[in-house]
Amino acid sequence: MEQRVATSLIMTLNEKKFIESALLSEIRVDGRRPFDYRTLTITFGSEDGSSEVQLGQTQVIGFVTAQLVQPYRDRPNEGSFSIYTEFSPMADPSFETGRPTDIAIELGRIIDRGLRESRAVDTESLCVISGKLVWSIRIDLHIIDNGGNLVDAANIAALAALSTFRRPECTFGGEDGQQLIIHPPDVREPLPLIIHHLPIAVTFGFIGKENTMVIDPTHYEEAVMGGSMTATLNTNGDVCAIQKAGGEGVPHSVIMQCLRIASVKAADITNKIKNSVESYNTERSLRKVKRHNPSTVVVEFGQQGCGDVAKHHMERLNLGSDESSVISHSDDVELGRKLIENDKMEKRNITAKRFGGGTATWDPYSRGVDGNALRASLASRVATPPEIHKEEPKQEKQNETLSYQQSLVHEVTKIELQTKQPKTLKDAVKPRHKRRNKLMANSSPS
Amino acid sequence: MEAKPSSTSPSTFVDQLVVPGDVILDLSSMANQTIKLGGGLRQDGDSISVMKAGTLRFTKPNKYWVESSHKRYVPSAGDNVLGVVVDTKPENFLVDIKGPALAFLPVLAFEGGTRRNIPKFEVGTLLYVRVVNANTGMNPELSCMDANGKAAEYGVLKEGYMFESSTGLSRTLLSSPPYPVLEALGKKLSFEIAVGINGRFWVNASQSSTVILVGNAILKSESLSLVQQKIYLEKLLKNIQ
Repeated sequence: MEQRVATSLIMTLNEKKFIESALLSEIRVDGRRPFDYRTLTITFGSEDGSSEVQLGQTQVIGFVTAQLVQPYRDRPNEGSFSIYTEFSPMADPSFETGRPTDIAIELGRIIDRGLRESRAVDTESLCVISGKLVWSIRIDLHIIDNGGNLVDAANIAALAALSTFRRPECTFGGEDGQQLIIHPPDVREPLPLIIHHLPIAVTFGFIGKENTMVIDPTHYEEAVMGGSMTATLNTNGDVCAIQKAGGEGVPHSVIMQCLRIASVKAADITNKIKNSVESYNTERSLRKVKRHNPSTVVVEFGQQGCGDVAKHHMERLNLGSDESSVISHSDDVELGRKLIENDKMEKRNITAKRFGGGTATWDPYSRGVDGNALRASLASRVATPPEIHKEEPKQEKQNETLSYQQSLVHEVTKIELQTKQPKTLKDAVKPRHKRRNKLMANSSPS
Repeated sequence: MEAKPSSTSPSTFVDQLVVPGDVILDLSSMANQTIKLGGGLRQDGDSISVMKAGTLRFTKPNKYWVESSHKRYVPSAGDNVLGVVVDTKPENFLVDIKGPALAFLPVLAFEGGTRRNIPKFEVGTLLYVRVVNANTGMNPELSCMDANGKAAEYGVLKEGYMFESSTGLSRTLLSSPPYPVLEALGKKLSFEIAVGINGRFWVNASQSSTVILVGNAILKSESLSLVQQKIYLEKLLKNIQ
C-alpha cells in the first residue's frame, strides 16, 4: 500500500542540504558545535537495577535482572550476561513489533561487545557452585523515544542499570553445610555486581562530501550521514571496541582524532554516571534507615523470620538435586511472598481504618504503598505466631500518636539501637558462613 | 461530570479546557438558532458533547470547535500546510502532510497547469500547499492554487530548513495579533518563514546560523510562559550583538 511508504523518516531535500551547508560553518541544526554532546540526564527507578537515560530527545530505559542457571560447559565457574533490546513503535514509526530489525541487533551487539570483550563485569564472582549454578544477568533495554544516537544512550542506560543492580546473597548452610540459602533482600543486604570499569560508547557521524565529523548525531543527521563510527572507551582511555558502519571510508588520522575526542567524552560521561549512581546509593541507604524506623520489633522478628526461611530452604533445597527444582522453588518463594504481601496490604488497610482518626502527620495512603516498610515487616509475617501480629499495630499506633518532634527523638534513639542489634547478630553469624563458603568452594569438584 | 448542569450557557466553557464527555450546549433551550460545529464536537440528540480534550473555541456568530495540540495532523479543507513529496505518479504527486494518509496533489493543480507543463518534483521536495478536500477514508487532496486559480504564495520552498513542531505551536505562530516571539525575532533579524498548520514551519535566511537560531527559539518558546519568553528572547538577542 502506498500509505505505508510514510513509515520511514521523511527528509526534505532542503533539510539534507541545510545540514551539510551549516556544518561547513561549524554549526548544527540544534545549535550545537560539531563536537558537543547533547545534555545527558540519568535517573533511577525505585528498584535496584533500573535506569532511565535521556540524551536530548532520545530516551532509553535499562533494566537488569538476575537468575540462577547452569553455566556453559566450557566456562563452569563464570556467570553470564545477555542483552535484550526492545524497539517500541512508539519511539519511531519505522520500528515495528515482532522480529528485531538490523538496528536492534547491531545496537545489542555493540553494547554486548563493549562489556564482554573488556571484561567490565566480573563474571567469575557470579559463580555460586562451579559447574552447577551461576547467576545469569539479563539486561533489558527499552527504547522509549528515538532522537538519534540510540547506541550511546542505550549503552549508558545499561551501565547505569548494572551499577545499581544488586543480586541476593547466597550462602551455604544447613546441618551438613551443603544446602544453598538464597537470602531475601530484607534479611541480608543484596550484593552489588563487581564492575571493573565503565566502557562508554561514543558515536561519530560522517556527513557530506567532505566527511565532516560530528559527535552524537541526531536522527536527522543519522538520515543524512554517509557513515558512522562507534568507539567504546573507558575513563582510562583504553579502547574496548570499535564499530564502523556505513559505506564512507575514513582515513586513519580521522579515526585517531575520533578516539582522542571520545576518550575525553568517555571521562565526562563516566563521571556523570558515577555521580548519579552515588547519589542514588546515598538515597537508597537513607531509605533503608527509614524502613527500619517503624518499630524495632520488625527487625527482631526479621531475624527470626530469616531463620525460618532458611529452614524452609533446607527442607526443599538439596545440592544434589537438579537445578530445575531450585528455580521452581525460588519461584514458589516468590509466589508465596506475593501472596503474603497481598495479605499484608489488606491487613494494613484494616489497621488504617482502625486508626483513621489518628494525628494529621499520619498518612494512611503513603503508608499503605510504602514498599520498603512492607518488605521490612514481611519477614515477620512469614512465620511468626499470631500474637506478634497484634503487637506491631500497637507499636505503630504509638508512633503515630507521638507528635512530630517527639517521634524524631524517638527515631534517633531507635536507629542507634537497631544498628547495634542486627550487627551483633550478623557478626556472630557471618564469619562462619564465610568460612563454610570458602571450604565449599575448595572442596567442590571443579 | 454530573456536577455540570447541561443547561449551562456555552460561554462558561468557551476558552476553557474541555474533556471528552463534557456537554457544552443544550439544544432544547435554544430553539430557532443555527450553530456550526467544528472539530472535536458531536451532536447527541439534544446536546452537543465534546469528543477530544482541548480548549473550546467560539467565534461569532455561531461557530464552535475544540483546539488541541498534537504531533500528528488531521487534514481539513482550507488548511495551508507544508508537505513533502514522497512519490510521483502520472496523475498525482504523493505528498506527506503528517496526516494519517498521504495526500494527493494532482499534477494539474498549478496555476496554468496543463498536460504539457507538468512540474518535475524530486522526492523530498518541500511544498507549501492548500488542502482542498479532506474526507474520512479518502486521501486528502491538495492544490498549489488559491480559490481563484492563482499561484498566490503556494509552491516549492527552496533552501532553508523545515522544523517539526506541534500543531498547537504552528497555530499560535499564525495567530493574530502576531506571536510575540516571532515579532521580537523579526525586529532584530531578517528571515523568511512559512508556517503550515500541520505542525511544520520553514525558515530561511542568508546565514544558516540565523535559521538555526530562529527555529530553535520558536521551538523552545512553546514551553515557556509569556514572561519567560520575554526574558529568554532578551538574553538570546543580546548574545547576537
